[in-house]
Amino acid sequence: MSKLTLNDLRKLRDDKKKAMTQRDAENKSGEVIIGMGTCGIAAGGKAVFDAFLDEFEKVGIQDVSIRQTGCMGLCFSEPTVEVAAAGMPRVVYGNVDEETARRIVREHLKGKALVSDHIFDKPSVDIIKATGK
Amino acid sequence: MMDLVQNSIEAEATEIELTLCETSEQVEFSVKDNGNGMSKEIQNKAIDPFYSDGKKHAHRRVGLGLPFLLQTAEATGGRATIESKEGCGTMIRFCAQAQHMDLPPLGEFASTATMMMSQPSNSNLRIVRKTRSDHYELSRRELEETLGDLNDSQNLILIKTYIGSLEENLEKAG
Repeated sequence: MSKLTLNDLRKLRDDKKKAMTQRDAENKSGEVIIGMGTCGIAAGGKAVFDAFLDEFEKVGIQDVSIRQTGCMGLCFSEPTVEVAAAGMPRVVYGNVDEETARRIVREHLKGKALVSDHIFDKPSVDIIKATGK
Repeated sequence: MMDLVQNSIEAEATEIELTLCETSEQVEFSVKDNGNGMSKEIQNKAIDPFYSDGKKHAHRRVGLGLPFLLQTAEATGGRATIESKEGCGTMIRFCAQAQHMDLPPLGEFASTATMMMSQPSNSNLRIVRKTRSDHYELSRRELEETLGDLNDSQNLILIKTYIGSLEENLEKAG
């Protein structure tokens, strides 16, 4: 690959935008939040982040945003991934490796079915407090 | 490295600069911010793995970011230093022997940098990446101006491709 400049990057984005329907951050149909505290990184959060990006590209999902968060207090089940998709319950998955990340994209985000064997059924107390749920 | 950048974000820095310089003999990086800084007393406490200011996690009794860095430096024939002034900011420097068997691999820098750029924060993160003969720079503000939302998965893929191309170019230059 030849060295890209910021202008090339802008052009790539415009090309992609043209190919997509109009949308903005508020209109996203889903959100993936990856735990990236020291524990998340140590447990392989970065590989999971890469796997999500790669699988989004493969499956052709464009309307999901990826965010990072700190330690959720579930260090023993890192990497953790919280997934919010339209029409689906908000779920925290635990022990997510690359393959599970790919399954979450294919089964949860695309297929609208929970990846049951990795569900961490209850978010940690501080998350419940923070979101008021 | 990501932990240190996170520390700077939590210290309410508006400008963070990560410089990473790699040669065949040495790996060197520094994280400099204009955040809250630390007093001498806090600096001494910060290197204790059983110290945390308790702000982020009220019941936590450990803080491992800086202790891990010091441990890695010590294990790899390198050095890590903390310079900080309350109210002015902090500068963390690290260096290690590149070929040392106890040095954790750097991994794919393109995705590490992509993740650091998309961490939730209001700080402008600049990354300067150097080898012996070439260098490139990234700025969160520039990427945001160019692409918009840095959490958008499509934009993240573009950023990773972009940094990947810069990395490839750097590698070619040697």
